[in-house]
Amino acid sequence: MAHQAHAYHMVDPSPWPLTGAVAALLVTSGTAIWFHFNSTILMTLGTMLLLLTMYQWWRDIIREGTFQGHHTPPVQKGLRYGMILFITSEVFFFLGFFWAFYHSSLAPTPDLGGCWPPAGITTLDPFEVPLLNTAVLLASGVTVTWAHHSIMEGDRKPAIQSLALTILLGFYFTFLQGLEYFEAPFTIADGVYGSTFFVATGFHGLHVIIGSTFLAVCLLRQIQYHFTSEHHFGFEAAAWYWHFVDVVWLFLYISIYWWGS
Amino acid sequence: MAGRLLLRACTTTTLQLRSNVVARPLHRAMATVRGIPTDEEQATGLERRALQALKHGKDPYSILKPKEYAGTQEDPHIVPCIGTKRLVGCLCEEDNTAIVWFWLHEGDAQRCPSCGSHYQLVHHELPH
Repeated sequence: MAHQAHAYHMVDPSPWPLTGAVAALLVTSGTAIWFHFNSTILMTLGTMLLLLTMYQWWRDIIREGTFQGHHTPPVQKGLRYGMILFITSEVFFFLGFFWAFYHSSLAPTPDLGGCWPPAGITTLDPFEVPLLNTAVLLASGVTVTWAHHSIMEGDRKPAIQSLALTILLGFYFTFLQGLEYFEAPFTIADGVYGSTFFVATGFHGLHVIIGSTFLAVCLLRQIQYHFTSEHHFGFEAAAWYWHFVDVVWLFLYISIYWWGS
Repeated sequence: MAGRLLLRACTTTTLQLRSNVVARPLHRAMATVRGIPTDEEQATGLERRALQALKHGKDPYSILKPKEYAGTQEDPHIVPCIGTKRLVGCLCEEDNTAIVWFWLHEGDAQRCPSCGSHYQLVHHELPH
């Protein structure tokens, strides 16, 4: 047993940073190879390696924290800072796409007809499915908060139920958005409107899928008794991420769906 | 025969899973009566040792801010140490950027060569 006089976690050597770096290399170069030489082998290999890396790295973190007790209060504090910084970086990521949208929509060029939405674009009615999607995500924000309070109060059954409901609402959003994408009267190739619409909402949808996956992992962990009523940072991180996804959607809805229609 | 073995394995697992909550000993069921364990029940390893020590008013892993001392002969700065000497960095005045470093040895209290504050090494066992 390691003897240390400090509360920090000096991690053991691990191969996952290396496999992750190799995966990043293979995915990026593989995508370029796919574009130019019509071969997907490198990209597929890279994606497999990336998924394996994520699974094993995060599994190791769960082992270190939950099963071995390395996540003392100072370590947890560091993890909190880390998650906050990561979400902040994602905020800036989305800010870029909002910048692009407002750049094009506030001063529409003559080739668009000098108007926004551009001439010839049939926008989606913001009070139809997009409004339902807004309600779905807001409701999921309520259910995830319900789950958090259940965990803090030591109530297993409602914790599992509300967390499962949150994930179902997330899936419902993704399903509805998928239908919208299929039925939309415009495509990503339809000028700057299509580009800004699908890149911004597309990345948002990807983040909904990522957030739902994170919550699903938390559900499995909660079922397996990993969380205690005081220490459940994995869940808190997932909930923060989910709220971030919800807020991004609200900005998307107001800017692109409503003001932009 | 393989079918019978499989059936036995399935039944045992189902019974184990079903009786998960009931199998918990009664005297430990108090805090987890609604199904989610507490740190007191489930924390392990370094986290458990740190939390238990803090609960008893001790801080062997230096998690909390150190106590403030006057630095006089009567109230010297107490410096915990798991060996026989420890580096001390003295900011003689607030906001000083030049830190005065010196080794503090076991035995009598030593004084900062710059401002004269008293420092006393106190031996602590390595927590384990």
